[in-house]
Amino acid sequence: MELTAQVDIDEALAFLGHRGQALGPDLAARIQRAAALCEAELRPRGVWQTLPWEDARLFLTGHDLAAHVDGYPEVVLMAATLGPESELMLRRESALSATDGLLVDACASSLVEQAANRLTCLIVEEAAARGLTATSRYSPGYGDLPLTCQPAFLAACGADRALGLRTTAANMLVPTKSITAVIGLKPVLDAEGEGVVVPQKAPAVAAGAPSRSAAAGGAGSATQDRCATCPLAPTCSLRAQGRICYGNPA
Amino acid sequence: MATPRNLTVTSDHLAAVLEGRAYLLCDGGMGTLVQAAGLHTVHEVPDLLNLTHPQDIAAIQRRYVEAGADCITTNTFSANRLKLKDTDATVAQVYAAAAAIAREAGAPLVAGDIGPTGALLEPLGPLTLDEAYDIFAEQACAAEAAGCDVVLIETMADLLEAKAAVLAAVENTSLPVFATMTFGEDGRTFLGTTPAIAATTLSALGAQAVGLNCSLGPVELAPLVDQLAPAARSLVMAQPNAGLPRLQDGETVFDVGPKEFAQAMEAILDAGATVVGGCCGTTPEHIRALRAVLDGRPAPGPIVEAAAPISTAPSSTPASKLPVPNPRYEAAFAVASAQRMVRLPQGQAAVAVIGERINPTGKKKLKAALQAGDVDYLVAEAAAQQRARADILDVNVGVPGLDEPALLTQVVCTLQATVPLPLQLDSSDPAAIEAAARIYAGRPLVNSVNGKAANLAAVLPVVARYGCTVVGLTLDENGIPPTAEERLAIARRIVEAAADYGIPREDVAIDCLVMAAATNQAEVREILRAVTLVKQELGVRTVLGVSNVSFGLPQRPLVNATFLAAAFGAGLDMPILNPLNARYRDTVDTFRVLNGQDEGCRYFLDTYAGVADPYDGPASGTAEASAAAAPGESAGAPSAAGGATGTASSRQGGAGAPSAATCPIPVTPTFADVPESVAALAAYALEGRGAPLAEATAQLLETHDGLAIINDIFVPVLDVVGLKYDDGTFFLPQLMASAEAVKAGFDVIRAQQEAAGAAGRDSATADPTSAAHDAATTSPDHAAPSPSSRAIVVATVEGDIHDIGKNIVKMLLENYGFPVIDLGRDVAPQAIVDAAREAGARLIGLSALMTTTVGAMEHTIQLVHQQLPQAAVMVGGAVITQEFADQIGADFYAKDAAESTRVATQFFGEEA
Repeated sequence: MELTAQVDIDEALAFLGHRGQALGPDLAARIQRAAALCEAELRPRGVWQTLPWEDARLFLTGHDLAAHVDGYPEVVLMAATLGPESELMLRRESALSATDGLLVDACASSLVEQAANRLTCLIVEEAAARGLTATSRYSPGYGDLPLTCQPAFLAACGADRALGLRTTAANMLVPTKSITAVIGLKPVLDAEGEGVVVPQKAPAVAAGAPSRSAAAGGAGSATQDRCATCPLAPTCSLRAQGRICYGNPA
Repeated sequence: MATPRNLTVTSDHLAAVLEGRAYLLCDGGMGTLVQAAGLHTVHEVPDLLNLTHPQDIAAIQRRYVEAGADCITTNTFSANRLKLKDTDATVAQVYAAAAAIAREAGAPLVAGDIGPTGALLEPLGPLTLDEAYDIFAEQACAAEAAGCDVVLIETMADLLEAKAAVLAAVENTSLPVFATMTFGEDGRTFLGTTPAIAATTLSALGAQAVGLNCSLGPVELAPLVDQLAPAARSLVMAQPNAGLPRLQDGETVFDVGPKEFAQAMEAILDAGATVVGGCCGTTPEHIRALRAVLDGRPAPGPIVEAAAPISTAPSSTPASKLPVPNPRYEAAFAVASAQRMVRLPQGQAAVAVIGERINPTGKKKLKAALQAGDVDYLVAEAAAQQRARADILDVNVGVPGLDEPALLTQVVCTLQATVPLPLQLDSSDPAAIEAAARIYAGRPLVNSVNGKAANLAAVLPVVARYGCTVVGLTLDENGIPPTAEERLAIARRIVEAAADYGIPREDVAIDCLVMAAATNQAEVREILRAVTLVKQELGVRTVLGVSNVSFGLPQRPLVNATFLAAAFGAGLDMPILNPLNARYRDTVDTFRVLNGQDEGCRYFLDTYAGVADPYDGPASGTAEASAAAAPGESAGAPSAAGGATGTASSRQGGAGAPSAATCPIPVTPTFADVPESVAALAAYALEGRGAPLAEATAQLLETHDGLAIINDIFVPVLDVVGLKYDDGTFFLPQLMASAEAVKAGFDVIRAQQEAAGAAGRDSATADPTSAAHDAATTSPDHAAPSPSSRAIVVATVEGDIHDIGKNIVKMLLENYGFPVIDLGRDVAPQAIVDAAREAGARLIGLSALMTTTVGAMEHTIQLVHQQLPQAAVMVGGAVITQEFADQIGADFYAKDAAESTRVATQFFGEEA
């Protein structure tokens, strides 16, 4: 399905290591152009599939995800992507200008992030309609959930056929501007008092979901929590800003 | 159009189907029924069910036979060597079992099914076209050996992968080949291919049927079949899903029932499909209902001849009269990339511009870029021509001494991954054309073949094999004849020879060869007359390289534009010209109004209304000035107009001039007379403004030495930029923008030095020790390994596809005057070693983003140290630390791109 999303320029700047430096009119215009280009040329798409956790755990190995969805009998496997056109666009832009290539790359990263947030909202809304509550997103490559699960993940959620997502020999996603993630689902009644974390970047979810689920901690604590098992945590620039990459380091 | 081949046709019904006289009803979905039988979790590769549960598969297929299907598809969608590699089964075993099951189920005809490889082809993925071809060839041969009647290639999303599959099946079996691709709701595949592009390309490769399957229901597919049918020089095929998939309680469901499905299929049959069936969600009941619909319709339409036989040809071969079994086919001259098609239907007035700028003849910069392997320069040329509204791009990389087949292939790969315009492969070397046509994701135009017998015999088989269109030059063993009639005679021979190879006349365009008015004035009118004659007598499209006409005359663009208008009037369809010239664009845009191509004059009104006529008013001075002010100029993005240089010309003159008082670098005695200029250059650099910096550099060059500008201004200001980045005043894009701006200045100086070098080649006096030397004079002549080479090889290591960091390092290193050889991403260790050896590079920069690929980095370092003991390796990337760099044996660690320039400067400084 198509996902409505816009580049979050602040987020794109954060990916670029921006810490409040004055941009000047030229650079600001170039970033605006990059964002507009991404939004004009790319159509974010997503797909998801719900599975019993018992089935999913056969190929989603490791302790960290198991702990993340502990007590959640169902999981959603989701994938969002900017599509192969994004690869062509990024190649073209970086061939024409390294600076514009960098800016477009960051804006595309933001766009796919926002698309994944939008998809998360849809999943959580649909789950809520079924009387289910959701965990936050958890991506392959994050914690001890290995990237080697990606091919089976794509097949299981249909992203290979529906979105044309593929993996490289090293199990990276192609197109690179793609996000895969797992979300746990369980009946709302069971969520009482168990501190279910609502996705940080999904205000629409917070509005639509039971308000108590938002109480499980602010961004800071969530960041520490999420990054505890990440091998990139010590050097991660996003984490330094209190942000979460959901297993897709910029 | 593909080389004709002798088909094995196993039944009268199939023969009638192939001639377009009968419908063929295929089966419906397999996966849904396998799931219903509870078999979907037995194997990871469902094709293994053929070996372990043959009776269950036969039972499903028998239901389709009983429902009235003529043709049963083998359960072999994933039976390729990639997907079977972790199983005990071979490709041949799976096809043999699957075909036997279908026969046992009572199938009147069996289609050997081939799905996508599951791997991505280059450039997005690792699979080469030849690897894909081998994989598909193995499957197609297995299907034929297993006794299948048809090869069915289906659910393709990548046109290049579909091309590999069709080529493999056509060239390795004698079976009819059917091919379908899958399209989204926007009417395109994931990679942007439209049904018409797929049909044009795959039918030209020799598929007997092309069409669509999966993704959408019959209602959504019907308009796409309607778009596909006129472009298919073959049967038209459609296998829709039972509606759009929908999630219900976590399960995928399809809503369109059998009756509704069959009714909706009427529109698809009306649109020209004669080979039909179902895909996901369809069941034997859907097929039964569709059978009833087919039985209630008259047999499909009569055969049409592809085109009238050549009227005056004494003997037309059977190939030239090959019937097209699709009555909706509309003959057209068509050239297509995977994303865009230029289609000139026979009998319709339409012109298309072929952009000529990617051709090294007379273009020193382009030639140097080709020799240096700087493909980015060509991308910039291509993008600029796209913005200037070229329709097709000519690609000629013929430079003496270079491996043209390899280079043309590389350039075509890069261009098709970055620019959507279809390409014209321009070479006199048939091997180069073949290599590039093979890997081209689409239907290229080949330029050229000529009337010489040897040339026809060498080029036309390539054109036929890869389903290209071709430009024929009206010259032969006796040269270029002076009269129109003689040119027509050669054109006729070319069209006839093409027909002998199965290439229909709609795939041929004739270039009557423009001569210079200054030397062959009498011939100019003959050329125009030849264009008219060729078009009238042969019914083919015409091409002309317009700018030859003005050779030797002043005001060449004026002469060219006038000739262009005259040639359009004579019947020219495809001028080859420089689309960046506004004067030519004006002529093309205006002619498109006059010939009715610009419907409602919409483009012309949008672009030209309210724009001043350049000939009006006081400014109408020289032709040069009026060309620059022509209205067409405003249509393109100005930043591209200058080709590969500056990106910011649209922003020039934005801010006021900086003052000397705030100059961030010291003004040296050399520049004591122009402190404001130094301050301005430094300010432009810090602001990242390339165009004004280039302009100011050019001005300063009039009075000062280029080398001094580099050493006294550019290098110090880059150091200031580096410091600002280090202390956090600048962040990465600012560092990059500054570096890019300074590069624009470097380019100005380099151009001036090259011009000076050309003027006095032997009096080389430039100082060879400075960084500026390499920056300013790195030319192909110096590309050979030399002990003093400052070349640096950079690459993202094998398995890693993140190259943004590497690109930044490359750019900054180039700014510091280092010649950088960029090997790209996902580069094998040995390829890095080989490239470094070949270039004589002694510093290698490796980048890795992901923890999973640092192993490849370590391996590469070991290989470098083993095979190139003099070379050093510098590493960087998100996950790399100094400790880690030490651990894997790297010689240097660069924490960021700015650091990499310091490492390189120090490395070569110590060596010197």
